[in-house]
Amino acid sequence: MDEEPERAKRWEGGYERTWEVLKEDESGSLKATVEEILYQSKRKRVTQSHAQVRLGMMRHLYVVIDCSRSMEDQDLKPNRLTSTLKLMEGFIDEYFDQNPISQVGIITTKNKRAEKLTELAGNPKKHIAALKKAVDSSCVGEPSLYNSLRLAIQTLKHMPGHTSREILIILSSLTTCDPANICELIKTLKSLKVRVSVIGLSAEVRVCTVLTRETGGSYHVILDESHFKELLMHHVKPPPASFSSESSLIRMGFPQHTVTSLSDQDVKPSFSMSHLDSGGGPALTLGGYFCPQCQAKYTELPVECKVCGLTLVSAPHLARSFHHLFPLQAFIESPADNYQQNKFCQACQGQLKDKNVLACPLCCSVFCGECDLFIHESLHCCPCCIHNRTAT
Amino acid sequence: FRLNIEGLLVYFPYDYIYPEQYSYMLELKRTLDAKGHGVLEMPSGTGKTISLLSLIVAYQRAFPLDVTKLIYCSRTVPEIEKVVEELRKLMEFYAKETGEVNNFLALSLSSRKNLCIHPEIIHANIVVYSYHYLLDPKIADLVSKELAKKSVVVFDEAHNIDNVCIDSMSVNITRRTLDRCQNNVDTLQNTIHKIKETDAAKLREEYRRLVEGLKEANVARETDIYLANPVLPDEVLQEAVPGSIRTAEHFVGFLRRFLEYLKARLRVQHVVQESAPQFLKDIFDKVCIDRKPLRFCAERLQSLLRTLEIADIADFSAVTLISNFATLVSTYSQGFTIIIEPFEDRTPTIANPVLHFSCMDPSIAIKPVFQRFQSVVITSGTLSPLDIYPRILDFRPVTMASFTMTLARTCLCPLIVGRGNDQVALSSKFETREDFAVIRNYGNLLLEMSAVVPDGIVAFFTSYVYMENIVASWYEQGILENIQKNKLIFIETQDAAETSMALEKYQEACENGRGAILLSVARGKFTILARLEYLRDQFQIRENDFLTFDAMRHAAQCVGRAIRGKTDYGLMIFADKRYARSDKRGKLPRWIQEHINDGSLNLTVDEAVQLSKHFLRQMAQPFRQEDQLGLSLLTLEQLQSEEMLQKISQMAHQT
Repeated sequence: MDEEPERAKRWEGGYERTWEVLKEDESGSLKATVEEILYQSKRKRVTQSHAQVRLGMMRHLYVVIDCSRSMEDQDLKPNRLTSTLKLMEGFIDEYFDQNPISQVGIITTKNKRAEKLTELAGNPKKHIAALKKAVDSSCVGEPSLYNSLRLAIQTLKHMPGHTSREILIILSSLTTCDPANICELIKTLKSLKVRVSVIGLSAEVRVCTVLTRETGGSYHVILDESHFKELLMHHVKPPPASFSSESSLIRMGFPQHTVTSLSDQDVKPSFSMSHLDSGGGPALTLGGYFCPQCQAKYTELPVECKVCGLTLVSAPHLARSFHHLFPLQAFIESPADNYQQNKFCQACQGQLKDKNVLACPLCCSVFCGECDLFIHESLHCCPCCIHNRTAT
Repeated sequence: FRLNIEGLLVYFPYDYIYPEQYSYMLELKRTLDAKGHGVLEMPSGTGKTISLLSLIVAYQRAFPLDVTKLIYCSRTVPEIEKVVEELRKLMEFYAKETGEVNNFLALSLSSRKNLCIHPEIIHANIVVYSYHYLLDPKIADLVSKELAKKSVVVFDEAHNIDNVCIDSMSVNITRRTLDRCQNNVDTLQNTIHKIKETDAAKLREEYRRLVEGLKEANVARETDIYLANPVLPDEVLQEAVPGSIRTAEHFVGFLRRFLEYLKARLRVQHVVQESAPQFLKDIFDKVCIDRKPLRFCAERLQSLLRTLEIADIADFSAVTLISNFATLVSTYSQGFTIIIEPFEDRTPTIANPVLHFSCMDPSIAIKPVFQRFQSVVITSGTLSPLDIYPRILDFRPVTMASFTMTLARTCLCPLIVGRGNDQVALSSKFETREDFAVIRNYGNLLLEMSAVVPDGIVAFFTSYVYMENIVASWYEQGILENIQKNKLIFIETQDAAETSMALEKYQEACENGRGAILLSVARGKFTILARLEYLRDQFQIRENDFLTFDAMRHAAQCVGRAIRGKTDYGLMIFADKRYARSDKRGKLPRWIQEHINDGSLNLTVDEAVQLSKHFLRQMAQPFRQEDQLGLSLLTLEQLQSEEMLQKISQMAHQT
């Protein structure tokens, strides 16, 4: 354990090593270590997500970020707030990458109040800019779960029934300062079918357990920064749609990007609709996406047309959502002894050291645990199957 | 499912069983087989109640001649209701499994509203009621007198049983008691006068009966039909009622004299402590009351009340109390002490004299129980050290065992904090109580903990006075204000209504996420010095041992509340450097002790905070029932595997 690189400030890391000592003590007894349980749940998550379910592809998600005093805690480096905001940027990117036809809004809560950092919108750039700006804000007072949820509901309740309504709370504080009884609000949330999930940064809080259980969300508490990231990325995947949610046909426009050559004298540069409210930036452009219904011009997709309300997407966007509906089959876990001839993982080419290995049910290639997770969570296709297909 | 415990078929109404439940039942069965008494400790939340019930019911069915009745005593009404609930589940399971309508009659006496009159008790197979029905001589006489000898008596939550015994035998007399007693005596006299005019024969009949003595009762005791009443000593039964109190008028006059004497005694300016013989000598010198009539006082009053056909006995509680006191004080020359105090502890300026007739020997009250019933089982989550209970209660157990919790994850985290961040030793011992640095360090500990522990924290103090002092100085130091940024603060007071309000609000604050701290007192009653002396003389228990035992059992009881089941988790912080010493630590229950390792001894506040943070994060990770299966939760097949049985037998810790 002393192999860690010397830190500039030793005292910052001093306590972390006492944790490691504690872990060693636990392993001596007959109890399974928490890590083992964690690994099991990780595996379970992969297998679980492969049941045939309807997924809510159009998501409306509000992320509530706790900005209370406890966010100044330095157990995440450099502090909780900075670390959280950085991870959130990654989350927003990933979220729109995987859910191109969904929207996100960000709420911050501090000093017993809740404020909207960004409105519910489908443009990642705006959110990321806002997050970058928020790094410098000060963390004061207590958060208010009630006020943040209330604020989120105000917008979410007007969202159409076929879309999902979700709230994700990043909660660092162990206390919440509420103006009214939160149990009533939980009932309201339940009746509005808003799913609330919480990621706790310090410990399990009873009210969050109740809140998530009642609304069908998930509740996790982070162990460290990498675990935090993992939990956050878990929320990138669309949740299964509840059976009671409406199904309806959605009108969508697939505008083609029209590029007009500069040589064409008739064309005049025009404003994009999305620049109208944001101001700034290069406003006048020549080409763009034109809404097939009202001919309003946009420079970026996906977007909801400001004039006629049509959802404008590009075909690749929908295609990217495809793997959620037809996920890669779970690999079969079996003891390494069964695969004596395959000593190496087919993906990373590393030696198979784990007790158990995983095999693709179609091509029977063998993978290690880490690669299995990577394939299922990021690649969404078996590399060996594709290789075989191209070879033949 | 069905279990086979050393040849006994036990129906267990749940699909899964904890390994410690299995070994608990095993020990219990051995106790019953030996027809002896047992002391069993098993952590709360591991299903003691259902293990007890299912085994004993099975035993009753298998050997209906050996065990006829189960008497289950618990402490409070909610606990009794819980027992009944479990019992109902068990009975439903029986009906489902065996298909026959069972003829088990179970009876619960919890509160006045479902009080039952005794003929039914005789026929019931299972009786569930409060300790007092068995231990308090006044009530036991009414309710439990005729319980069969072949009963199994279980005292659940018995960690305080010695105090219950002592309380049930102790008498407190105030001026108010005496005034009410005076009224009672007046009423008695009037009634006697009236009866004399209308029905003198009745009084004559009573007189005749008293001459013959209490033969009936004596016969009953010798033939072993009744549970012995410690207020009714053997000598009383063999002799006739002395002449001086035989007639009703004389007896009333006697009571008056006794009353006047007590009134005179209550006029004291300073605390008086004397033994029973001293008291008797004094009463003889002053008002010429002999020991003998005093001894018959209780019985004589009962007889009079019966003769006068007074329906509402409750009105005569004061005079009954006084006569019981008279009998006790003249019967037991040892084991009791009389303390007369001019004021109460809380109001040292207002004269409110109290005569405490306190029992120092818990074995007096419980002796008849041990003598009468073939098996008495004492059980609780916290009974350590086990050997002290047989000593103070004066009985010889055939089994003593302590079981631990088998856990799939380490869900309790006892930490012993011995120093503040400034390295000043943290201790509530008397010499350093007033020390500014110590108080500040305690405050810091609570402040830091309030920032890392979610929802609720309960902090226990050793006494109200100590708590008040500390809270006052925390207020001055601004610590309270800082704590309130993290959690609300509730304080237990001596006022019951206030406290229950505080408790309710505390719970609410924990539920809705605000978070709360409850400042509470672990030991409301302080041990009387006299009791210590008595213990030393009688049972060879050193004062220090008993004090340590008493302190540690309170501590264990406090922290034991953190865990109510296997999916719960809790931090236990012992904030006193003395806990780190092995002689103190060794007195904690085994299930707590085994989680204290060298890394959690003598920590500073900062270290404790870091450990807690880590622990809470680990515990917040998802944990499902499947994770427990096979380790701490067993199905029938798993239980039957050879390997598991071996493991279990190793686990049972014989002392």
